[in-house]
Amino acid sequence: MIKIKVKCFSQVRYALGIDNLNLEFESGTSTSQLEKFIRGKANGKLDGISLRIALNQKYVPDETELQDGDEVAFIPPVQGG
Amino acid sequence: MVRAEIVNGLIDFFPSEDNRQQDGAELVFNGRVRATEHGENITALEYEQYEGMAETELTRLAEEVMKKFPIHDLFCRHRIGRADVGETSLHVSIWSKHRREGLDAMDFFITELKKRVPIWKWAILGDGSRIPSKCDHNH
Repeated sequence: MIKIKVKCFSQVRYALGIDNLNLEFESGTSTSQLEKFIRGKANGKLDGISLRIALNQKYVPDETELQDGDEVAFIPPVQGG
Repeated sequence: MVRAEIVNGLIDFFPSEDNRQQDGAELVFNGRVRATEHGENITALEYEQYEGMAETELTRLAEEVMKKFPIHDLFCRHRIGRADVGETSLHVSIWSKHRREGLDAMDFFITELKKRVPIWKWAILGDGSRIPSKCDHNH
């Protein structure tokens, strides 16, 4: 098993109603599988919202394998400026 | 040289520099909070960041702009936390030999910032309620 910390911002936090999640998954779980899990928890509130994945504070491709202790954030469209 | 900073509270503007002898252009951009968001009156925006990553991405972008365009310096401050209507949320100064490369660099920098840097805004409505601001990438 691996332990993952998910940080929630903006629309993701709004949809889930929480700042952070601490989760456990089987080894070999990918970022896309985690995204599917998160979207499921949001009960449709993230439908139509594109999410980029940041792994340990860097953007990564969708199919990146997660490692024990990783910090993941699903980045909704950013709005700086 | 690059300076890229996330600041909480009013932005101190970078001073104009009269002693630069090789820069014919000094460009300053101030992004300010409008009184309406998507047709709704607001009293303020509240900016949220992914702490650490926001400043890292802002710095990475500024460095990329320095390589892509023949400019001499790019300084940037982005605000987080509450910014009332009329206040500055983004301040950028660019110095370059000629105006064209500075203008192009400024446009590219701000356009990419709005795509990459993990900062979000929440609209504060007149009744004090707080909702995630919609994003149309046209702002």
